[in-house]
Amino acid sequence: MEYLFHILIISGIYSILALSLNLIIGFTGLPAFGHAAFSCVGAYVSALLALNLGISPWIGLLIGAVMASLLGLLIGYPSIRLKGDYLALATFGFGVIVYSIAKNWVPLTKGPMGLPSIPRFSVFGFSLEPIWTYFILVLLFVLITVLVIQRIVHSPFGRILRSIREDEIASEALGKNTTKYKLLVFVVGAFFAGIAGSLYAHYITFLDPSTFTVMESITVLLMVIFGGMGNIPGSIVGATILVVFPELLRFLGLSSSMAAQVRQMIYGLLLVILMLKRPQGLMGTFRFK
Amino acid sequence: MIEQLFLNSLIAGSIYALIALGFSIIYRTVKFFHFTHGIVYTAGAYFAYSLFTSLQFSFLISFFVSILLASLLGVIIDRTVYYPLRFKKASNLSFLIASFGVFIFLQNLIALIYGNKILTLRTGPIKEGYHIFGAVITPIQILILTVSIILVFLLWLFIKQTKLGKAMRAVFDDPLASNVVGINPERIIFISFALGSLLAGVAGILISLETNLEPTMGFIPLLKGIIASIIGGVGSIPGSILGGFFLGLVENLGIWKISAGWKDLIAFVILIIFLLLKPRGFLGIKTEKEII
Repeated sequence: MEYLFHILIISGIYSILALSLNLIIGFTGLPAFGHAAFSCVGAYVSALLALNLGISPWIGLLIGAVMASLLGLLIGYPSIRLKGDYLALATFGFGVIVYSIAKNWVPLTKGPMGLPSIPRFSVFGFSLEPIWTYFILVLLFVLITVLVIQRIVHSPFGRILRSIREDEIASEALGKNTTKYKLLVFVVGAFFAGIAGSLYAHYITFLDPSTFTVMESITVLLMVIFGGMGNIPGSIVGATILVVFPELLRFLGLSSSMAAQVRQMIYGLLLVILMLKRPQGLMGTFRFK
Repeated sequence: MIEQLFLNSLIAGSIYALIALGFSIIYRTVKFFHFTHGIVYTAGAYFAYSLFTSLQFSFLISFFVSILLASLLGVIIDRTVYYPLRFKKASNLSFLIASFGVFIFLQNLIALIYGNKILTLRTGPIKEGYHIFGAVITPIQILILTVSIILVFLLWLFIKQTKLGKAMRAVFDDPLASNVVGINPERIIFISFALGSLLAGVAGILISLETNLEPTMGFIPLLKGIIASIIGGVGSIPGSILGGFFLGLVENLGIWKISAGWKDLIAFVILIIFLLLKPRGFLGIKTEKEII
């Protein structure tokens, strides 16, 4: 039972990541390949605040998310002037930069040794120690993310985002400041990725940079594409399937390192097959042009 | 100290230049980021390891067979993954994502076959280096430098002097027009992948003589090669060489006063600076499609 909840919690955290990335790449059409950078900042800020200053994880989560969205602004501002694969490469580069800082800024982040015993969330003095309580918390955040992104997508703002995706020059011609909107999308996406990072840090209670490699960004990207670009339920389905399915490999009796390799191989193969057969994903409406 | 850093940057630069060169040749014919280039590099090193250490062939035979196998791998990837995408006229990003997929797949396949442990490729006892101008250079580093210089020269000769090289340059500049005059673009793509992957294989084997083999060894050098080719101007062949040495220099001098762990950060900061301020690099060629 504990195991089941654990899988569900991880799926939930990945769902938040996939949803926020979907807003950037699926709904706005901006190929951002460095999403792990944002969750990295969210996780480290919130964990360090709790460990060094004794600040409650709730406030830490919020500050972490705000810091992540500031990073979104910082990364987005220069990057969004680039197009297509160059934007992908730039965001990818920022992903490596943030990972490299987390790994090398040893006095602050303890580098590869990691940060142990990060406190858990607590409500009115009760620690969310039982795993099902944490699951409810994560579920709550998934719901909030879905609601916010749903609101954004179906608002006039969302229509502008889709117009940027379909034809940026046309929407500029209609007088829309596309740079501003693209930047805003980065900020919102980074905010939720920061929340996901913080939820992860206070759940696993241990943090090291290897969680936030660029491969992780690609995994989230795969979840978005697999579930469907520009489709909200798709991201949750994609994240859940890609978290749950590799777990089945454990029951095949593979050793844990082999299971990890086979899982990655499946991910890689899936990316290729999706691009060849269904670039918009299972439930998607948009493919890269 | 500074002399040694200069020498290190020369060695690193020649490896980056080899990777960037192969990457650039492929980029100029197909016009997308071929990330799988990094796994061809890794595979080249592992082929050499298998042939030399496991099957006990002589080093020269292992070297030549491995670079041919690396070249074949590049061509196979092109035929099985990129060709169908080309046929469907997929977007550049689809190519990029698919090449990521192949990269992840093959890297983990190598890890599955050889294990995650670090392997070494040693042709003989480690010899003490020679002292030149206050820096130490090992025989292997001399080999790396010589092979890189010879290869770059041969490639330049091939592209500038042969008929095939001329056809390649025609496709680089205008695929449609060269098709009209009877150059088969698929044939040029085939040659580009074969040649580019060969260079990646050479770089992989050379670096594994100097350091070690790991399944993940190809990722960072690939990115450095891409950065080098962007610094020099994507697709420009002299640019790739220039970019490779420039990156090696900045990276190694950058860590003069700080820890070597920051090397990657320096390289990526340079990438961002170039993408934003000089996206065509030093010697960039004007492409039909605007970058920004």
